[in-house]
Amino acid sequence: MFKQVGNTVRGLMLGAALLGGGTPTIAQVANGEAAQLAELRQKLDESLKMIAALNARVQELEAARVPAPVAAAPAAPAEAQRIEVVETKVAQMEAANASHVADTTGLPMHGFADVGVANHYSWNPDLKGFNVGNLDFYLTPRLGDRTKALFELNIETDTDGTIGVDLERAQIGYTFSDAATVWLGRFHTPFGYMNTAFHHGSWISNALRRPAFLNFEDHDGILPVHTVGSWLTGAVRGDEGKLLYDVYIGNGQKIIGGIIDMRSAGNEHGQPIAGGRLGYEWTGGAVDGLAFGLHAFSSTISDDQLPQHDTRVRVYGGYVVYDTDRWEHISEVYFFDNQDLSGRTGSHRSEAGFLQLAYRSAFGVPYLRYERAALQQADQYFAQQAYGASYWRAAVGMRFDIDLKSAFKLELANTHITDRVRREYNEALAQYAIRF
Amino acid sequence: MLPALGLALACWSNGANAGDLYVICNVGVTLQPSEIKDAFIGEKGFVGTVKLAPSDNTAAQAAFLEKVLKVDATKYAGIWTKKAFRDGVNPPPVKASDAEALAYVKQTPGGCGYVATSPGAEVKLVARF
Repeated sequence: MFKQVGNTVRGLMLGAALLGGGTPTIAQVANGEAAQLAELRQKLDESLKMIAALNARVQELEAARVPAPVAAAPAAPAEAQRIEVVETKVAQMEAANASHVADTTGLPMHGFADVGVANHYSWNPDLKGFNVGNLDFYLTPRLGDRTKALFELNIETDTDGTIGVDLERAQIGYTFSDAATVWLGRFHTPFGYMNTAFHHGSWISNALRRPAFLNFEDHDGILPVHTVGSWLTGAVRGDEGKLLYDVYIGNGQKIIGGIIDMRSAGNEHGQPIAGGRLGYEWTGGAVDGLAFGLHAFSSTISDDQLPQHDTRVRVYGGYVVYDTDRWEHISEVYFFDNQDLSGRTGSHRSEAGFLQLAYRSAFGVPYLRYERAALQQADQYFAQQAYGASYWRAAVGMRFDIDLKSAFKLELANTHITDRVRREYNEALAQYAIRF
Repeated sequence: MLPALGLALACWSNGANAGDLYVICNVGVTLQPSEIKDAFIGEKGFVGTVKLAPSDNTAAQAAFLEKVLKVDATKYAGIWTKKAFRDGVNPPPVKASDAEALAYVKQTPGGCGYVATSPGAEVKLVARF
């Protein structure tokens, strides 16, 4: 043990000697190392400060980023919910709109109107100048799949310039199929082509006015263009066309004050008007747009004279129409085979007809028309009518479509009255017609 | 190149193409393609005992008039004005979008319409133009 203590003391003494003998060198080294250590310590301090600053910056940045994902997490389901709500509302609106077959808030009203100016009016030669034509309302209420109705109320200027109101049509019908619809009420008598294709509502027609003999009963017309009764109509379709038919029966008309009255409340003698029309219309192929038909009716028509005349009026005839995107040609012919049932004047034959040619161009629709009526004045059916005189008329006209719902028309015509009081007159007419 | 061609062929053969027009009817209606025009201008009102209820679709009407009826909007309006005035028939109700037109056809017995997007299987496809 003492040996070990002696060795230790010797080692310490040697170490001290070494330390004491080498003091200058060791001091120099110690001074250099201290400087390096100080420098290192300083750099270390700077690094630590930088690390602390960077750490603080990272924390700051992370602090700035952290709230976004934290907030987005609940926002995503909220957005999805909102989109789902919007989609549901849109789907409900679409379903609701889809179920609207029609405007159920009221009855949609449609109509036509026209005004014009002329140097002469054939139904009243004493008048000239501006005129109010027709304000024609028609109603087609939606009643169901098979029941339908059509009402037409026309406010028009009468021949004496006063304003009158006529219930032109009042018909209620039931549709069995495309081949059969039955109407009851007052309707346009289905003869010829023009009487059912064009009537009131001048905008529909390219020509400014109807042929005079086909005009309305209270203007120039000589035919019962309205009937109060029942009408069966329909079409049977084929590959390139359709067969059209009409059968009707109604109240026999009466001539009152020189005008044919359709006897909307029934007639005194109970005799009917009965007739029919059969036609074919091509809807495809080389003659697409061509149509022709035959028609006939018979009626017992009385007048208001004393003594009264009862005339059995038999009318038959036909029509040919060529109606395409480019052309509109219409021709009709009527033959009258009348018999005075009172036995005073016997039987009489008369005829009337017209040919109208029209061309649908880009700038308008020019048309030509020739019409003629050769009417036996011994026939009380014509003799008792204010406009039952024979005549012929040549006319040229033009239709300009101003927009989708309005048209401006011009017509120049030369008319010859060939019996009663023979005379000739020229007409210049203009008309502004609309639909709404 | 080939994958793109394959995709185009797949779209052509199976899917909807831009500009396509689909004439559709309620599942209870069997309308022939040759009868579409008559149905939409009021000349054909029935298929068998089913009363047709065609509808227009504003979103696709221009294409329908051009491709199917082959008339312009002016003539189409004129056709219906005359039809309503002469026969007491009302023009088709107008839907504002494909979705509305599709919903109408689905829920209306006798309903027919047209859309510019693939209509799906819940209606009967009459023709694709």
